[in-house]
Amino acid sequence: MKLELNNLTKKFGDFTAVDHMNLAMSSGVYGLLGVNGAGKTTLMRMLCTLLKPTSGSIICNGKDILKMDGEYRKLLGYLPQDFGFYPEFTVQDYLLYIAAIKGLRPTVAKRRVKELIPQVGLTKAAGKKMKKLSGGMKRRAGIAQAMLNDPKILILDEPTAGLDPNERIRFRNLISELSEERLVLLSTHIVSDIEYIANEIWLMKDGKLMHNGTADEIINSMPETVWECLVEKNMVSDFIKKYKISNMKTEPQGVNLRIISQEKPLPNAKRTEASLEDVFLYYFGEKAGDENAAI
Amino acid sequence: MLQFEIKKVFSKFKNKIAMFLLLIILIATSILTMNRVEYLDADGNASSGITAAKNLSAEQNKWAGYLTEDVFVNVIKEKAQINNSKEALSDDIQEQNKAYAKTQGISGITGLINNAFSDWRDYNYFAVNNVSEEEVKQVYEKRISSLKEYLNSGEETFTDAQKDFLIQRYEDLKTPFYYEYTEGWSALLQNISTFILMLALVIGFFVSGIFSEEFQTKADSIFFSTKLGRNKAIVSKVGAGLVITTVLYVVFMLLYTAIVLLALGADGADCPIQLDLWRSAYNITFFQAYLLIVAGGYVGTLFAAVISMIVSATARSTATAVIVPFMILCAFPFLSRIITLPGICSFFPDQLLEVYLSIKDFELVELGQRVMSVVTIIIPVYMAACLLLLPILYRVYKKSQIK
Repeated sequence: MKLELNNLTKKFGDFTAVDHMNLAMSSGVYGLLGVNGAGKTTLMRMLCTLLKPTSGSIICNGKDILKMDGEYRKLLGYLPQDFGFYPEFTVQDYLLYIAAIKGLRPTVAKRRVKELIPQVGLTKAAGKKMKKLSGGMKRRAGIAQAMLNDPKILILDEPTAGLDPNERIRFRNLISELSEERLVLLSTHIVSDIEYIANEIWLMKDGKLMHNGTADEIINSMPETVWECLVEKNMVSDFIKKYKISNMKTEPQGVNLRIISQEKPLPNAKRTEASLEDVFLYYFGEKAGDENAAI
Repeated sequence: MLQFEIKKVFSKFKNKIAMFLLLIILIATSILTMNRVEYLDADGNASSGITAAKNLSAEQNKWAGYLTEDVFVNVIKEKAQINNSKEALSDDIQEQNKAYAKTQGISGITGLINNAFSDWRDYNYFAVNNVSEEEVKQVYEKRISSLKEYLNSGEETFTDAQKDFLIQRYEDLKTPFYYEYTEGWSALLQNISTFILMLALVIGFFVSGIFSEEFQTKADSIFFSTKLGRNKAIVSKVGAGLVITTVLYVVFMLLYTAIVLLALGADGADCPIQLDLWRSAYNITFFQAYLLIVAGGYVGTLFAAVISMIVSATARSTATAVIVPFMILCAFPFLSRIITLPGICSFFPDQLLEVYLSIKDFELVELGQRVMSVVTIIIPVYMAACLLLLPILYRVYKKSQIK
């Protein structure tokens, strides 16, 4: 399985959401990391044939996905950011319906639904109406529908958004389990999700790919150093103005700051190992993504 | 897939309410229709509905048979005898009611005579009292001669071809008429257009969300990313719209027909529609008129439903799509009242729901050398339009992008 993006561009009027992206993907988990408005969702919608590119193409095993039409979508499993469903359907009916529009024969559909419901932990909720499910359960139903056709390409857009920490960990593990022998593209702005499960990370900003590589490669690509130091409370605001602060922790003796800087911010500052969150902050800044959040 | 699409529609609370409303409409219209049949008993007391229909049927069927010259003569004799009875001559209303009660068996026939001997645009309730035995033998001929007089009067705007068409239709009508109790069919046909209109509006409500609610529930992303989401799944949506429209229309029309005819009686199905609509140029029976009205209503309902689905798919809004059947079926009649477009208004889609009126009146169209009644044109034309619009609906939805 190979997916290639060739000069992929999507414009909405004067705004360029995805800007001449060139990439190739094969089996494995790819983490798409970027602030809100970076163009992640637009990219994913193009990968799911929900949007037509303004220019460029997406090639699957040598064929244009738009020309492949249903043959391409047969390979696809997609969990969108705003996961919509039919509120009056039970979980079981919902999954059977999605299985039908995925082209599964009724007997196969019933078997797959029977397999997936316990796998995603929805056994007790199978007869419940979709509208009665909690946020986490809805997401689990979402991942179940994406997996119905045993997709070779699994696209998950912000799959853990809005989940509580326990649900998020459960969900992350579930994605890990399901990611074997397929191409998984996972978009999120929650850095730890990507850090745990992605084999390769793409950093996306303003519709463009800034960096790609493994977590270590991305971390090593950062030209600055991460420092930890204890400062007095009244000095914190000066540090915030001067440096990029990736973490602050108030302690009885003062405030422990995690600072990204080329120079040593204080004589007593200790150099520490950079994390993906530090890299995220370094590249995207603290206020990035406040505009065009839906793109 | 089709069954899930239908389930989506009927699982919605608002559509359950609409179904309940439809049942209420059915019951209310059936009651109103049943009460159209009235009867006066021998004591002059009035009743309506099922009992009235039963009694009236018994009275009128005493005169069942072909309306020959002799029957017309006997009818005017009978009428004269009743008119001269002491009840009829009394000043007391109750006594007069008793006299009227005796005319109910022949009321259908006296109605024909009144029509035949009234001015074209008039109905003289007392014409039957003034017709001689010789004159009344000319009832059928009078129908044709009255038409010719009207067509030559210059009060109308028909072309020569249209005039010839109407005269030919009148002359082709098979006489003598067979007469029996027809009040069940008559009441059914008089109220059926209102029932069809309400049925069409509610059906439009049902189908208006089939396409748009994928967008409104945000289920569109998953729908269009599936293997069949841009082909067979859309076909099943279109299919669901057609099945819902057809099944609801057929079921509710059958229910309405069954309730009314079981209550009022189904006699007279094979009698000519002219027993009720004397000047109609349609040489058909009550049952054939019923089929024509129901067919027209179905095509009108289907047309409104298809347009509603197209709007639902393009505007992605159920609220907008719901308005469409109202616009098509209610705004057009309003338009035809405020704008003068001779001939054009007869082709508006609301006319499909008013076939009863078209049967009653002369609505003609000339295509080349051929003259036809408007109904025989608009039913196939709008049916063809529906069939042509379905692929458009499919393509519009197939091309949807999720921004």
